[in-house]
Amino acid sequence: MTAAQGRHGRTWLFAYLATLVAATFIHSPAALAALLALALSAAGAARWRLLRRTLWAVLAFNLTISAGYALVALWQGGFSAGYLLLVNLRVVLMVFLGFWFVSRFDLPTLLSGWPTATLVFTLALGQIRSLERVVADFRLAFASRSAVPPRLADRARHAGAQGIALLDKSMAAATESTLAMRSRGAFDD
Amino acid sequence: MHIPDGFLSPQTYLPAYAVAAAAWWWAAKGLRERLDETTVPRLAMLTALAYALGLVMVPLPGGTSGHALGVALLALVFGLRLAFLGYSGVLLLQSLLFGAGGVTALAVNALAMGLVGAAAAIAAKKLLGRLGDTFAVAVAAWLSVVLPGAVVAVVLGVQPLIAHQPDGTPLFFPFDLAVTLPAVLLPHAVIGIGEALLTVAVWRYAKSRRWT
Repeated sequence: MTAAQGRHGRTWLFAYLATLVAATFIHSPAALAALLALALSAAGAARWRLLRRTLWAVLAFNLTISAGYALVALWQGGFSAGYLLLVNLRVVLMVFLGFWFVSRFDLPTLLSGWPTATLVFTLALGQIRSLERVVADFRLAFASRSAVPPRLADRARHAGAQGIALLDKSMAAATESTLAMRSRGAFDD
Repeated sequence: MHIPDGFLSPQTYLPAYAVAAAAWWWAAKGLRERLDETTVPRLAMLTALAYALGLVMVPLPGGTSGHALGVALLALVFGLRLAFLGYSGVLLLQSLLFGAGGVTALAVNALAMGLVGAAAAIAAKKLLGRLGDTFAVAVAAWLSVVLPGAVVAVVLGVQPLIAHQPDGTPLFFPFDLAVTLPAVLLPHAVIGIGEALLTVAVWRYAKSRRWT
């Protein structure tokens, strides 16, 4: 990763953040739809994959809010289809922009101007993958050992055991990383 | 509990960023003063741990479950500043990588869950410590879920007042406090019980390993 790549990434980061802020000042569904169409066309071949990912990410929350609003507004009066269009377009646009941005630039590259932040996020991202496997393994093991639906106490013990395993692994990983970084001279400067 | 992008008005999230920036500076200042070879990996692991604890399903009565916050555990084991920074880091990662929460809502989410949640846990543990460790930790964990829930409910519930069309149609979040407070607080009061069970179990282990 070069310094120029880092600068290029940060320029796009600021452009992304500015667009996010701008999207919250736009209250016209047509303008937001036009921006979304522009973003989709600019995203290239990845557009449909990113859009699908966006829709899955926002589906539960937006569906709940939209259905709740529709029910309450139809019951109390003052229903506005324009509002539903506005808020859903805004959310989809903002989340799509985030996924598109992250698909083009990785976080450590963007943070290259801040060495400590780069270090923290690189270590954290690697460790997250490892901890995700621990959680997945625990879930599968618990399911395979539960011939009948587990009781509340069993599930509480299971959650506690997962928490302990995660804490234990994190503490061990922190010690390992410290030793590995020290052996490579990371703290010599 | 995460507020996503698009439901908070700029009149809300821009001042929230100003407050959060001051809080992040305060938390990182303490860190920079003691930035050594153990602090950096520890903060990274803490961020990963905060993320992973969010994947743990806490059991709720009736066979359902909710996601753990884990912020009480982080605060009680690692202190307010590290817990706040670690939790803010994980909220940023969650919003960018998974679309959970949001970048514009990051400041509100971090202040509510990372700061208010962690501070409530530490304060409750201190105040109630003489009534017994288990009781104090359980109440601390319950409060670390319910108080951030109240903050999130209030922030969402004031959106129709702050930002609306001349005819009263909302521009961001549509429901007022009469809806958001019970809708957020009642489920979180129950989720808090599961969180308390989880936190007590892990806290006892952490104490037995002398990590606290």
